[in-house]
Amino acid sequence: MAVTPCWYFDKKELRITPSSLDGIDYDTELRYRKDGARFIQDTGTKMDLGYNTMATGVVYFHRFYMFHSFRNFPRYVTASCCLFLAGKVEETPKKCKDIIKAAKGFLTDAKFATFGDDPKEEVMTLERILLQTIKFDLQVEHPYYFLLKYAKCLKGDKQKLQKMVQMAWTFVNDSLCTTLCLQWEPEVIAVALMYLAGKLSKFEVMDWTGRTPKHLRWWDMFIEDVTMDLLEDICHQVLDLYSQPQTNPMPDSPPLPPAPQIQHASVRAAITHSENTRSPIATIVQGAPIPTVSMIGKTVGKNDSKLVSTNGELSKMIVDPLKPPPLEPPSMFVHAPPHHHSYPPPSFSQPPPSGPPPTTGTLYPVYPPPPQGAPYGSSRPPSYYPSNI
Amino acid sequence: MMPNSSISSMINPVPGGFYKMNTKEKEKYIEEFDFPFCDEASKYEKITKIGQGTFGEVFKAKDRKNPAKIVAMKKVLMDNEKEGFPITALREIKILQLLKHENVVNLIEICRTRATLDNKYRSTFYLVFDFCEHDLAGLLSNVNVKFSLGEIKRVIQQLLNGLYYIHSNKILHRDMKAANVLITKNGILKLADFGLARAFSQCKNGQVNRYTNRVVTLWYRPPELLLGDRNYGPPVDLWGAGCIMAEMWTRSPIMQGNTEPQQLALISQLCGSITPETWPGVESLELYNKIELARGQKRKVKDRLKPYVKNPYACDLLDKLLVLDPQKRCDADAALNHDFFWSEPMPCDLSKMLAQHTQSMFEFTMQSRRQGVLRQVNTPWIAYFFNRKTAVHEGLTFYRLDLRSD
Repeated sequence: MAVTPCWYFDKKELRITPSSLDGIDYDTELRYRKDGARFIQDTGTKMDLGYNTMATGVVYFHRFYMFHSFRNFPRYVTASCCLFLAGKVEETPKKCKDIIKAAKGFLTDAKFATFGDDPKEEVMTLERILLQTIKFDLQVEHPYYFLLKYAKCLKGDKQKLQKMVQMAWTFVNDSLCTTLCLQWEPEVIAVALMYLAGKLSKFEVMDWTGRTPKHLRWWDMFIEDVTMDLLEDICHQVLDLYSQPQTNPMPDSPPLPPAPQIQHASVRAAITHSENTRSPIATIVQGAPIPTVSMIGKTVGKNDSKLVSTNGELSKMIVDPLKPPPLEPPSMFVHAPPHHHSYPPPSFSQPPPSGPPPTTGTLYPVYPPPPQGAPYGSSRPPSYYPSNI
Repeated sequence: MMPNSSISSMINPVPGGFYKMNTKEKEKYIEEFDFPFCDEASKYEKITKIGQGTFGEVFKAKDRKNPAKIVAMKKVLMDNEKEGFPITALREIKILQLLKHENVVNLIEICRTRATLDNKYRSTFYLVFDFCEHDLAGLLSNVNVKFSLGEIKRVIQQLLNGLYYIHSNKILHRDMKAANVLITKNGILKLADFGLARAFSQCKNGQVNRYTNRVVTLWYRPPELLLGDRNYGPPVDLWGAGCIMAEMWTRSPIMQGNTEPQQLALISQLCGSITPETWPGVESLELYNKIELARGQKRKVKDRLKPYVKNPYACDLLDKLLVLDPQKRCDADAALNHDFFWSEPMPCDLSKMLAQHTQSMFEFTMQSRRQGVLRQVNTPWIAYFFNRKTAVHEGLTFYRLDLRSD
């Protein structure tokens, strides 16, 4: 009988991957993983695929590279293949040739050359390798579902709750660029990122449905034995994304040696050097003024452009001139999807930030500058955000 | 010329570039990579072919390391697939991985053949299942197999248990028929062939599901599907369960239409005319006004089945399953609570009876077909509906040929 896989790895195991044994250093591998994940989200968004389909594709991608090296399998071919398979699994199938066409739009000629003479054949052949590698474990759960489920139980300021959920949603999107899905169950990731979003949006959980005297914190209801250290660690892994220097989103391959990690006076640094080691996130939120923190969870609108444009790197950023309508009353959770796949996106009237946010010194996700024809900055939110009510 | 277009030579345009493998090396890598989670199909030794249909082939096989372990291997047909691994197979795998229940066939693993030059570096995949000795269609077509009332109750109870479980998991089987109901030599019933199954959702916010209505073998297809409903649910499987239950006594499918209108006519003959009075909302189904439906037919489920199904509880349960309006059709839970299962004789174990029939009904089926032997089948029920002898014959022939296909 074949080995039963465990899809969760500890941090040590994540450093002994086929790629690392192939001479690719850890930071570079992380960057490739991020590239692949972002590429899946970009391509998926362009093809109107749902957030679950994209997330499933990204999880396949991360799992794949626990068994194969980035040197053996070029990441954009693998990413396209993962999205192709995820589309079928999540009942949102797209034609292989259409995925390749969309993918091509995000790649330089040099990178697209990794697809070979017959890109479709390349992806099809890889699909069989992918299926065997991931043991046909097709059904994957994502934090989105748990995020909505948990949010339904929380009591507090409704507006702030909604803001918190949107922010957490964005963090979940971004968490896919990390190896978190190889470390923790989606339930745990959902709790951690809700905790982070709660801190940043100053949402206080007053009470929760289903509370018993045994529950110290709301998440005790859903997951057991989760320490604050663990939650903090998960949050930092996502926050790390935002303090990485902005690189060309799809640098030329063969990849260059990793760029030196310049730690600006970033939030990350602030957290790391916080005196309060017990709850650094809590500290930064309550403590030192970080002017842009409150920007998270907002759609970048006209009025916000001042704040944003203070950062020189972002002058190219396209600011959404159409501010979405105000938030609907938070009856939204009533219609949360009953299941975690194949269903319409959860109902929110306003997307989380969709424009490329500022980089260092803020808590903004580092998005690549918009490629031509990409959805960035368009008034329509990427479909991996919750959209219509 | 190597058939290697799939593994491109463009991967390494510059010697010493990032991607270390050239085409040859990559082929070798794929050939030799030991996928830790996906064993080779050669770990099993094929014994005999037990099925052949549109989906591909099914083999009986034994584990080479443990010859006592017998499995069924279903080949995933990948030829003529323009979009890679078929979505239908992915669906089936996903559903089988989700469903773990005594009355649902157990998927052990998925095996592969090694990718080699011979298969153009494309593996073949097999779904490997616990082997079940019999299928219900095979058992029912063998006149020597006789079920007592208690045994019939056990069969139907297990069938409904399986349905209750899959419906609770939001899965529709969509291909209920006697041939898809497997029974082990120990008398455990297993729902099989989830090749047409899919997940369903309760409609909310006025959203309407748009499922295909081209599912379920015609003879077991419920009236709502025949009328073009695309927003159906678990009741479609309960209709099939009703047909199968009746078949336990009639020994052959109770409504063997050749065309969809004919199938509807047969249904009306049994369950009465399809009208908005008996079935509110039927008028909004797509084909309701496009198909000429029999009028003035009375409901005769109990009357017509009584000669076969002597037990009044059984007749009553059949009457509740074979209901035209899917909303009024009994669900699996209610059916399991029916007095039929809680009255004497109580459901009883099948293993003793099955022990008398050592030959697998699969083999029985295959053998008789190979020899061109027409088995003796009880036909009165069919004759009841078809006046022309030829129709009876065609129906039977069709049934026999169809027996082992999907």
